[in-house]
Amino acid sequence: MNENVIDRSRDITILEVLDRVLNKGVILTGDIVISVADVDLVYLGVKLMLSSVETMEQLKSGKH
Amino acid sequence: MIYSIIKASEEHAQLIAVLSGMHGISNADFLAVSYDDITAVVCDVPKVGMVTDRSATMDYASVVDSLFKDFTLLPVRFGSVMESDDEIRKMLQKNYKEIKNNLLKVEGKLEFGLKVFCDTLKLQARFEDNSKAEINVAATTVSGQNNSIFKDYVNKKLIEYRIEESLLSYVNSLIQKISDCCTGIKAISKFKKMLSPTNIIDALFLIDKEMTNQLIRLVKDLKTRYPDLNFILTGPWPPYNFVDITIS
Repeated sequence: MNENVIDRSRDITILEVLDRVLNKGVILTGDIVISVADVDLVYLGVKLMLSSVETMEQLKSGKH
Repeated sequence: MIYSIIKASEEHAQLIAVLSGMHGISNADFLAVSYDDITAVVCDVPKVGMVTDRSATMDYASVVDSLFKDFTLLPVRFGSVMESDDEIRKMLQKNYKEIKNNLLKVEGKLEFGLKVFCDTLKLQARFEDNSKAEINVAATTVSGQNNSIFKDYVNKKLIEYRIEESLLSYVNSLIQKISDCCTGIKAISKFKKMLSPTNIIDALFLIDKEMTNQLIRLVKDLKTRYPDLNFILTGPWPPYNFVDITIS
């Protein structure tokens, strides 16, 4: 039953994973968190999410 | 880097076994940093040269997924790095109660996502016909008014407003129907609406593991009942969207 209803297509999974991993969960902020390799996570999030816009376009038309 | 906070102590045999078979970002070994019965699963990361691309993010998520198979956990947002194990332990100690409460809330539960897409233009066209008919009827009942640019403008705006209103009311009624169906499976749910012109509903559910088949059946029924809508169910996920802690 799961196979028919739960969507496991790769593009959708990537989009859903990125949304969760970059924006959700326990959030540590402020001085307790150190930056690594000067990575701006907001920038990283925007960059990765933008690359998934195409996926959203496919989602809306059901072409996945 | 902290991957997750799990309900287990660092001596937990199963935890040791699971962690020994995995590697973190930059191929580093995992470590368990505990306070009482909660443990942060962490790995060392280089201060320079760490790759933080899509692949690293997906690897990160797959580690959280693997841990989730065996433990109740709170995923930690990607990129959360603390200076030392000691700092992590202090953070766990300081936020122990809140972490425990959240672990309790998600214990034995799974997260699912349900996105609803529709052809909004088609739907709007249907509402537009209704609105136009309504406004024409209203206009004919008002006597003594001549057509004017002003009146056309007001009518146009009124139709736009009515379409918007009808669409919102349609989405709200759909959310209500989904919510009603969810009471049977005791789901904790969150809804966002009109995220884009086509993504009319973005729903999240936290359900008991045993309720998975009922949720799937529910979505199957929705698909049958609303053939014009596109329902996309994803999951099961670790409870990313039902963790309510910001630590600063």
